Amino acid sequence: MLNVSHLTKKYNRYAANNNISFTVNDGEIAVIAGPNGAGKSTAIKCIAGLLRFEGEIEICGFNNKSIEAKRVLGYIPEIPAPFELLTVWEHMEFIAKAYKLDESWKNRAEELVKRMELDDKRSKLGKELSKGMQQKISICCALLINPKVVLFDEPFVGLDPHAIKELKEMLLEMRSKGISVIISTHMLDSVSEFWDRVFIMMDGRIEAERTREYVEKNGEDLEELFFSITEKRKNGQ
Amino acid sequence: MDSIFFMIQKTVKNAIVDTVRHPLRLILYSLLILSMIYALVVSFSPGGTPEYSFDDRILEGAYHAILYFISIPILLKGLSTGTSFFGMSDVNNIFTAPISEKKVLIYGVGRRLASMLLLVVTFASYGGMAVKMFDITLSNAFLLVCGIMLMLIVVQIITMFIFAAAGGHPIRAAVLKIIIYMMPVFSLSAVTIYMFSNGLTFENLYRALTLPMLEYVPITGWIHGLIFGIVSGNVVKVIIYSVLTAVIIIIGITAFIFVRLDYYEDVLGGAESYYEWRSSMRSGTVKDSVMMGEKKIDVRKTGIRRGYGASSIFFKHLREGSRRSRLMFFNINTVVLIFVSLITGMVIKTAADFLPSTVIYISAVVICVYVQFFFSAAGDWVKELSKPYIFLIPDSAVKKLIMAGATSIIKPFVDGIAAFGILGIAAGGNISDIIVSMAVYGSFGSVYIAANILAQRIVGTDGNRGVFIAFYMSFIVLLMIPGIGAGLLAVSWLGQFTYIAATVMGIPIFIWNIFVSFMIFLMCKNLLNNIE
Repeated sequence: MLNVSHLTKKYNRYAANNNISFTVNDGEIAVIAGPNGAGKSTAIKCIAGLLRFEGEIEICGFNNKSIEAKRVLGYIPEIPAPFELLTVWEHMEFIAKAYKLDESWKNRAEELVKRMELDDKRSKLGKELSKGMQQKISICCALLINPKVVLFDEPFVGLDPHAIKELKEMLLEMRSKGISVIISTHMLDSVSEFWDRVFIMMDGRIEAERTREYVEKNGEDLEELFFSITEKRKNGQ
Repeated sequence: MDSIFFMIQKTVKNAIVDTVRHPLRLILYSLLILSMIYALVVSFSPGGTPEYSFDDRILEGAYHAILYFISIPILLKGLSTGTSFFGMSDVNNIFTAPISEKKVLIYGVGRRLASMLLLVVTFASYGGMAVKMFDITLSNAFLLVCGIMLMLIVVQIITMFIFAAAGGHPIRAAVLKIIIYMMPVFSLSAVTIYMFSNGLTFENLYRALTLPMLEYVPITGWIHGLIFGIVSGNVVKVIIYSVLTAVIIIIGITAFIFVRLDYYEDVLGGAESYYEWRSSMRSGTVKDSVMMGEKKIDVRKTGIRRGYGASSIFFKHLREGSRRSRLMFFNINTVVLIFVSLITGMVIKTAADFLPSTVIYISAVVICVYVQFFFSAAGDWVKELSKPYIFLIPDSAVKKLIMAGATSIIKPFVDGIAAFGILGIAAGGNISDIIVSMAVYGSFGSVYIAANILAQRIVGTDGNRGVFIAFYMSFIVLLMIPGIGAGLLAVSWLGQFTYIAATVMGIPIFIWNIFVSFMIFLMCKNLLNNIE
């Protein structure tokens, strides 16, 4: 479970995130949607503990900067950053050692590497891989630790159709295992089939929060809602 | 061409406005300019007759070295697809504009020349220093600075020509590269051969530095000959070398006019990698592929094997290190260091054999620690900060910081053992001096890392690089002073042990360096609290 309370992130006087609060329950896929510059990635980085912020963020009841929280948090950055001189398999090995995983990591790593079609590239160095492949390594690293909360920052950018399909299946599996998944994206289409909760962000604030249940019950069109918020603001209304 | 002038004008104006809007940057630049003006005024101000003036032949040698130091990188850069002339924005905007390729190249070379002006100002302050240290007049010092400016212009013209001539012709480029490399190699070989065939003494070193054959080398040698011809009033020399310089300028310009230019494709790839290199240098996120180029790595041994929690970062670095170099901690820096310590030690031993051997080690440590500064820029731990993993790993921040810095801490000790071990074998002396020199050299590596961590903590990992470097250098000085002070005090108190002064002085320095570095590691653990 992820609990974000009064999160504010300022760069000098500019508030990239302005007093935002939300909760993502266990087994829920939440989407943070918004146009470029809305503050989605900043929020994700604050949750991952990479940025300083005001407010409180709890991951499974622990402060997000605590070691306990880090143990259960998976993070897939927008720009993949593999170690250039480590092979694909060594990335898995490194994560297993750094997170002090038990021996079962190997089976999980095998499965992840196969699903992401990296098994024939396990001896390739990080720097020899394309951006898409590097993104796949990031996904494997994040999921290897058996996380309870997973953050995806624009996860579908740069992935090939097979990887997108696999990732979507993985997301559904994560949900069934009770993992809280948070996806930041500006492409609502890409997440339309599986989201449970959506936060529409604009100018650093959450302007709307909807659950799938609510939208289906009221016959609301999510895309229309998204554009009504983002375009209204752009037009100065 | 109007559009280029418009772009230059706007760029300069916006750069000034941007600096004014960033007070910290403005203060830093102002301080830099003021310190340069101060250095110029102080160095050129009349300070009476110096008590002791060095042999003028040292100045001749140093001037030759400066000419090479400036010209060779420019010539090589020009050859490597003009990456120093153009940025990515030039490629994207100017190359696609309807402007003649020659005009674009002139713009690129002019841009480069403007950026070199700062170098001339720096050397101008050295000109003042030359007046104080050597037996030369103010007008001669001014002449030396003019010589550097002349060389910059000649080198840019030649670069423009060789760039145009070599573009798209790998064989021509390779031949020109060999010729460029041959210039300093010839001079170095001449000096080395003279020294070894006549004996390693200061007098022979001075004679070697002023060998007439050094002035036969095109561009650097000719300009050197021209300037020192004027200084010494040797009219024949002045005529010969000014004619040769004028001829090469005319050939360069004429050839450039008649060469058919088609260099955009060559520039594109180079500019992209240069852009990547600059971005990584600015952000401090130096990538291995940027540092190592496109060198193919043969993945032999695989697996991290050891490590648990934070220590896995250290073992990961070992694996990465083994891929950069099979000898791991032993690399080109080690070779350079061995060379520097040997030359320093042997020259002192041969030229001043009345001094105790301990002086050899003190001098070698001082010079090697200075050289180490240039090696310590991008350790493994700095690269680690550019990726999210170190921040996400669930372990103590101090442990992570120490483990991430471990390879960078070990490396100077390995270098120190190699350099002073070999110097010990070659120069002899007290065993305690040798061991303490190794330890002291290694411990300064930790001080450099500590200063870097401290600067990262103050400025942030994504802060301005100029501000970062200013803080980094200040911290180095501040952290070193107490240790060196304690070392000097120890020597003065224990006067009867001056024959092992390196040991007496080195022990307090070593203890302080390790202590202060460790304390900074402890105090800066919050560095890993966030990526900012």
